[in-house]
Amino acid sequence: MDKRQGVQEASSLELRYLDPEEVRVWRGEDGRVYCTIADELTVLTPMFMRSHPLSDLERYLSVRGVEPKERSVAMGKEFGLLRNWHRLDPHSHAIVEAELERRYLYAKVFAILSVRDYSGVQVCEFDTDRGLRQVTLRDVRDNVIYLGRSRVLVTDAEGNRYDIEDVNELDPDSLLRLARIL
Amino acid sequence: MAESNHIPEDVRQAVEGVRPAADIRLVAFSDLAPDGNFGEQFLALADDRLLVFSSDGERPALLKDLPFADVSKVEIETLVGGAALRAVVDGRREDLISFSHAMSDAFGRVRIQLDALIEGKPLPEVDERATRCATCGLFLGEYTRVCPRCLRKGATLRRLLGLTKPYTGRMVLIGSLMVGSIVAGMVPPFLTMLLVDRVLTLGTNYHLVIWLVLGLASAGLAHTGMEIWRNRIAAWLGARISFDIRAQLYERLQWLSMRYYDHHPTGTIISRLTQDANGIQDLLAFALPFLVVNVVTIVAVSVVLLAMNWKLALIAMVPLPILFILVRKLWRLLRRAFHNWWYRMRRFHGLVSDALGRVKVTKAFSQQQSEIGRYQFRNDDLRAAGVYADATAGTFFPLMWLIIGSGSLLVWYFGSMLHMYGGITLGMIVAFLAYLAMVQHPLEFLGHSTQWITRALTAAERVFEVLDAESESEQSRGEVELEEIDGEVEYRNVGFGYEKHQQVLKDISFKVKPGQMLGLVGKSGVGKSTIINLLCRFYDADEGEIFVDGVPLRDVSLWSYRGKLGVVLQEPFLFSGTVAENIAYAKPEATPEDIMAAAKIANAHDFIISKPDGYDEQVGERGNRLSGGEKQRVCIARAILHDPALLILDEATASVDLETEQQIQEAIGRLIEGRTTFAIAHRLSTLRNAHKLLVLDEGRIVESGTHDELRAKKGVYAKLLDIHRRTSMVGAIDG
Repeated sequence: MDKRQGVQEASSLELRYLDPEEVRVWRGEDGRVYCTIADELTVLTPMFMRSHPLSDLERYLSVRGVEPKERSVAMGKEFGLLRNWHRLDPHSHAIVEAELERRYLYAKVFAILSVRDYSGVQVCEFDTDRGLRQVTLRDVRDNVIYLGRSRVLVTDAEGNRYDIEDVNELDPDSLLRLARIL
Repeated sequence: MAESNHIPEDVRQAVEGVRPAADIRLVAFSDLAPDGNFGEQFLALADDRLLVFSSDGERPALLKDLPFADVSKVEIETLVGGAALRAVVDGRREDLISFSHAMSDAFGRVRIQLDALIEGKPLPEVDERATRCATCGLFLGEYTRVCPRCLRKGATLRRLLGLTKPYTGRMVLIGSLMVGSIVAGMVPPFLTMLLVDRVLTLGTNYHLVIWLVLGLASAGLAHTGMEIWRNRIAAWLGARISFDIRAQLYERLQWLSMRYYDHHPTGTIISRLTQDANGIQDLLAFALPFLVVNVVTIVAVSVVLLAMNWKLALIAMVPLPILFILVRKLWRLLRRAFHNWWYRMRRFHGLVSDALGRVKVTKAFSQQQSEIGRYQFRNDDLRAAGVYADATAGTFFPLMWLIIGSGSLLVWYFGSMLHMYGGITLGMIVAFLAYLAMVQHPLEFLGHSTQWITRALTAAERVFEVLDAESESEQSRGEVELEEIDGEVEYRNVGFGYEKHQQVLKDISFKVKPGQMLGLVGKSGVGKSTIINLLCRFYDADEGEIFVDGVPLRDVSLWSYRGKLGVVLQEPFLFSGTVAENIAYAKPEATPEDIMAAAKIANAHDFIISKPDGYDEQVGERGNRLSGGEKQRVCIARAILHDPALLILDEATASVDLETEQQIQEAIGRLIEGRTTFAIAHRLSTLRNAHKLLVLDEGRIVESGTHDELRAKKGVYAKLLDIHRRTSMVGAIDG
């Protein structure tokens, strides 16, 4: 079995962990992102997906690719998992970081600026790492969930997600407003 | 999105900055800036260029400029928390613009429009699904058009009161009893005043005592009697109106179109029938009468107090606004605290039920200790919420009584002063205190009733929304009554999508002769069931036409047509009742012999007879006392008894073992004789005898012919057969 076959078959039979030193991510002259694994296989339009996007942001990145013959934007095949993507070379690391930033559109909530209740529908204003945002919450008791003791994940009526990493870090007014939401 | 004559000026300027005098054909705004932060950028199709601008700075900055002629397709890539519109250029995928879920619908429409232009079609009008309030822009979702922020309470209340019209007599009686009980309730303080001033203070007029006490007793009895009478009528009326609403709702739900059900989850509909209907009952039976009684009481008492001594009346009323405001604020806090406790209690219950349900797994994996840890965490959480709620309640009520008591203190102090200077009598002070006590509860009620009433009105509006939804009968007023059907079916260039911008079937054309069997083959999600849904006329085709015996299906009277259809689905649906009732569902007038004959043909008779109660055996809720194969055969017996001209078999043998499948196959073989049959089957071998097979892929027919023809063709069908053969071998080895 040659190296290239090994890379491909790993996706269907067993998990393949990629050595960060074998993975190179670069932007081509056409502006698109490419990923080469073990100098053998170049993945077109690679997708980097976190295996544990809520509980472990730093480890386990799935490197996937869309095969040219595929007609729709599917998740693509997994070419391998990166246990520690921070060990990628700096250039690759920067591109992967940007791709992750693009894919995961969570907003981290720093403060809850206002909450207004309209018969069970709450309209809140969040100050987030992506800027200010007015969000509408319905069925909050199902859409505001505690992950562990102090982390709260809020999903608004439109399906957008807001992450309060540590409620204890919120200012007293925001904490009071969070209690109102709940 | 806007047409060129509705393009905002700054957008026009930005586009014309790079494409002077350009024809702007469409514009779409994203709610994300290019760096992923909340902000704005927009996409424009100007002349033959696709342009993307960032509009966060003072002047929009051009980010992308693509020749539209090079774009072969436009796609939406779903990201986590949002999505991105991408163009396929020379086989490469080029990101155009990212957006949050809030804009997914809008960009879904943009994709359709751009794809249409790529295919050389004119710019299509795409239905915009209203998910936001047209007035205030609040996101409402797909399931309701009721905006709680813009709810016109007056109009809803009027319509709600219209529901009481059949019971006008009782409403008038309730109103009269209400006034009577208020008047009766105001008598005792007045008589008490007389008792104190004319009997106790003077120490004479002993003969008056008996009359005053009798008066007090009569007033008390009258007040209590009228209250009981009113409450009993209100309870009857509330339940009756709730009954009427539920009946109207349920009837309406039976006639609503499948599209309505596609956009309204079952849970939402059930809550309309239960919680919302109860909310209306609460409003009409309790909240509104209470509101009227309390407002009238406050006004009447205020008038009496002012008439007795306006100075003391004003002093006595000083704490009342404070009480009103405090109750409003504290009640909200209290409600929140108890909701929080209730939410945690629900999570706690969920944990316990989950843990006890998997106790075998817990023991098998020795996870008792971790289960105890999880339980303790939730238990502690619940304890903290309980302490907070009880502590809040424990603070709220004493505070409220303190303020209520302060009104009495003022009356005692200033009343005593006035009494000493001869301004008022002792009896008047006592009467003042009694009247004051009468308004304190109404004020407390008013303090927290607004939210209760608003919620009930919102519930009422949601109920009205269902009652006003367009029903199937309104959508399907076909004129042609079909007495008999030969069973010829033709699909001519049929196109359809559950959502207008996502086509599921594209250009489907085929013809089935009477009595023929048509097999539909393909992977999951290629449109097989959709073809059947259109034949059942659960939906109407968006494009093209379906003909039955040469008559366009949309001209056929739905009721006459559906009576000629028989359906056996993958998930056999039985309702709670006997086996016989389930078989005779579509033909209630069937005799026991008809039922048994149908069951015999369906290979169901023998297993039914072997049940202790035979055909009278209760099948349980959803038929859960029968096995999968038994349920399926009862469904086939039902279809046989119904004797349809058109038969639909949707994966009828998908979830049974091989022996049962054989029995079902035999039954199906007898069922389909002489009937036009549309069959979808997971096991391709069951379609071997079909007169024609249609192989579908991505909503299109990619192959058609008989089993042998398609196998010889070595195309998609042959590949599916091969996969099926290999899977069956694995299954056989596993088995």
